[in-house]
Amino acid sequence: MTKVIRTENLTKVYNHTVVPVHALGGVDLEVEKGEFTAIIGPSGSGKTTLLNMIGGLDHPTSGRVFVGDTEMTALKESKLIDFRLRNIGFVFQSYNLIPVLTAKENISFIMLLQKRSKEEMEARAIQLLQEVGLTDKADVRPQKLSGGQQQRVAVARALASRPQFVLADEPTANLDTQSAFNLLDIMQKLNEEEHITLLFSTHDQRVIDRARRVIKLVDGKIASDERR
Amino acid sequence: MKMLMILAWRNLWRNKRRTIITVASVFFAVLLAICSESFQRGSYEMMIDNMVKYSTGYLKVQDVMYHDEPSIDNSLLYDDALQSALKPYAESIDYLVPRIQGFTLVANDETTRGALLIGMNPDSEVQFNDFRENIVAGDYLESGDQSVLISSGLARVLNAEVGDTLVFISQGFQGASAAGLFPVKGIVRIRVPEMDRATILMPLAAAQWFFQADERLTSLIVMPNNPADTERLANAMAKGLDAEWFRLLTWKELLADFLKLMAFDVAANKVFLYILYMIIAFGIYGTVLTMMVERTKELAMIISVGMKRSQLAVVCVIEMVLMTLLGVIAGALAAFPVVYYFHHNPIQLSGELANVMIDYGFEPVMPFSMSAINFLSQVYVVSVISLLVSIYPVYKVYSMKVVESSKL
Ligand SMILES: Nc1ncnc2c1ncn2[C@@H]1O[C@H](COP(=O)(O)OP(=O)(O)OP(=O)(O)O)[C@@H](O)[C@H]1O
Ligand SMILES: [Mg+2]
Repeated sequence: MTKVIRTENLTKVYNHTVVPVHALGGVDLEVEKGEFTAIIGPSGSGKTTLLNMIGGLDHPTSGRVFVGDTEMTALKESKLIDFRLRNIGFVFQSYNLIPVLTAKENISFIMLLQKRSKEEMEARAIQLLQEVGLTDKADVRPQKLSGGQQQRVAVARALASRPQFVLADEPTANLDTQSAFNLLDIMQKLNEEEHITLLFSTHDQRVIDRARRVIKLVDGKIASDERR
Repeated sequence: MKMLMILAWRNLWRNKRRTIITVASVFFAVLLAICSESFQRGSYEMMIDNMVKYSTGYLKVQDVMYHDEPSIDNSLLYDDALQSALKPYAESIDYLVPRIQGFTLVANDETTRGALLIGMNPDSEVQFNDFRENIVAGDYLESGDQSVLISSGLARVLNAEVGDTLVFISQGFQGASAAGLFPVKGIVRIRVPEMDRATILMPLAAAQWFFQADERLTSLIVMPNNPADTERLANAMAKGLDAEWFRLLTWKELLADFLKLMAFDVAANKVFLYILYMIIAFGIYGTVLTMMVERTKELAMIISVGMKRSQLAVVCVIEMVLMTLLGVIAGALAAFPVVYYFHHNPIQLSGELANVMIDYGFEPVMPFSMSAINFLSQVYVVSVISLLVSIYPVYKVYSMKVVESSKL
C-alpha cells in the first residue's frame, strides 16, 4: 500500500499564550491511500492542530510532514500554497465557499487556479455536482443553499483538483442529523468507489461509527488507533 | 485574470449600499473638483487670452531697452535687415503684428485726456483680435487711412462721435514734437475694461508719421502657428537676432507677475481640493477596513484552498480601483454638461463683484474651461488615492495567518 501521509514526531507548542500550550506532543501517523479515517478526541485534544499541520496551513514546532514523497514541512510559503492547491482538498467546518460565486463556480474556481482547460473544468464541475447530488443547484450562490448543501459543494470543491487526499475538520458539526448522514454517505461512496483518501476530525458518534479507521487523540498524543 | 475581475466585480456589490455610498462620495468630490477647477481655470484662460490678444501676443520682438523703459525712443527699426532675419522662421510663424505705441494727449474743444495710441496694421489686427467685430459706431480702419478708432470708454469721456476731429499731442522719436489732427472713423469696444477707457487705434503709417518714427515699431508681435510651440520658436529666433539690439519676450515673461498670482490662487484652490479628497480617502479607507474585517475568514479559506496571496491581493486592488473609477467616471460624466454649459454661457457677474473686477481691468465674465486637464487631473488624483487605500488590503492579504484568521 502507498502511504499518502506520514508525520514524524510532530509537535506543536503555542508559546504566545500565558502558559505554553502543548497542542501536539509527538504524533507519528501514517495514512495509506484509500483510507477513510476519523480523528476523534475531546475538545482541545489537538485534532484541528493536527489537521492544520498535515494540510500545511500551519508550521509544526518540530517534526516533519510528508505528503507522498514530498516533505511538506520543508516547503517555502509560495511553494506550499501551490502544493496545497495540487495535492490537498479541504473541507472546513464553515465558511467553505466563496459567497459571490455560484456552486458550480466555486467548484471550478480550484481548477481555474490550476489552469485547467475550460472543457475539463466544465465537465468535471458537472460530474462532481452530480456526485454530491446538487445538479439542480449549479447556478445558486451559497447563501441560498442549506448548510448541508454547502458542505456537499465544499466536498465537490475539495475533489475538483484531484487531490491526493481530502482533509475535513468537523465537516458535520453544523449539520442536522439528516444532512450529516447525507454528507457522510457521499464521502463514503467517494471513498469506496473512487478510492479517495479521507481524513477527518469529528465529535460526532454517528460519524465515528462509519469510519474504517479511528484515531483517538488525548492531550496531543495518539491514545488509540484502530482499523475495522 | 478574468476570474479575478469577476470576483472583484461581484465582491463590489456584496454590500450594495456601502459601495454606493463610497462611489457617491467619490462622485461628488470629482464633480465639485472638476467644476471648481474648470471655473477657475476658465477665468484665467479668458484673462490670459484677452491679455495675449490685446496686448502681449505670444511672442514679442522689441528693442533691447523697451521692456524696461517703454518709450518711442526705444523702438526698433523694422527694416529689410530685420525682415530677412525673420525669414528662416517663416514656416513656424503664422503672421506678424507690427505695432508702434505710445502715450498721447487727446483733446477736443471740451476736454483733454491721456490715452494709449496704438499704431497698427488693420489687416493683421483682424487676425490677431476682434477690434473689427467690436466696432460699435462708424467703420474699421484701412491701412491708408489718416483717421482713428477710439475706444468706447474714451468716446464717452470725450463725448466724441464718429466724424469728430480730435487733436493729438505727444512726444515723437528722439524728442521730436508730435502733433496732429485726426478724424474719428469709428468707435470700438475693447473687452479689457482698463483699455477701453483710454485707447486710440491708428493705422501704422499714420502713427509712424505722427511719432516721426519712420519704419519704427515699439514691438513686433509674432504669432506662432502652434502657440504651444512659442518657447521653442523663441529659442530658435534668439539665435538669429542680434541680442545687442533685440529682445524676445514670450507671453509667459510678459505676464510673469500675473502668472505668479494665478499660480498662487490655483495652488490655494488645490489645497482646498486636496483636503476634500483627504476626507473622501478616509471614507474609502473606512469602507475598506470594515470590508476586510468582515471577510477575514473567507480570505483565510481562499488562501487555504490554494489561491496565491498575490492573486488575492490583485482582486482587492481591482475592487478598490473599480469602486473609485466608477465614482470618477460618473463624476466626470456629470461634470461635463455643467462645464460645457458654462463654457458656452459664461456666468455674467453683476453688482459689487463685477465692479471690482472691472476696476482690476478684467471683464466681469466667468466662463468654464473645457480643458481636458481638468478632467484628467481628477482621474489622476483619485487613482493615487485608490492605490494608497489599496495598500491596506494588500498588506492584510500578505500578512494574514490563515490558521488564526479562520478561527476568528
Ligand atoms: N492559536 C492558538 N493559540 C494558542 N493555543 C491554541 C491555538 N490553537 C489551539 N490552541 C490550543 O491547542 C490545543 C489544541 O487545540 P485544537 O484546536 O487543536 O483542539 P481540537 O481537538 O480541535 O478541539 P475542538 O474539538 O474543540 O475543536 C487547545 O488546548 C487549544 O486551546
Ligand atoms: Mg477543532
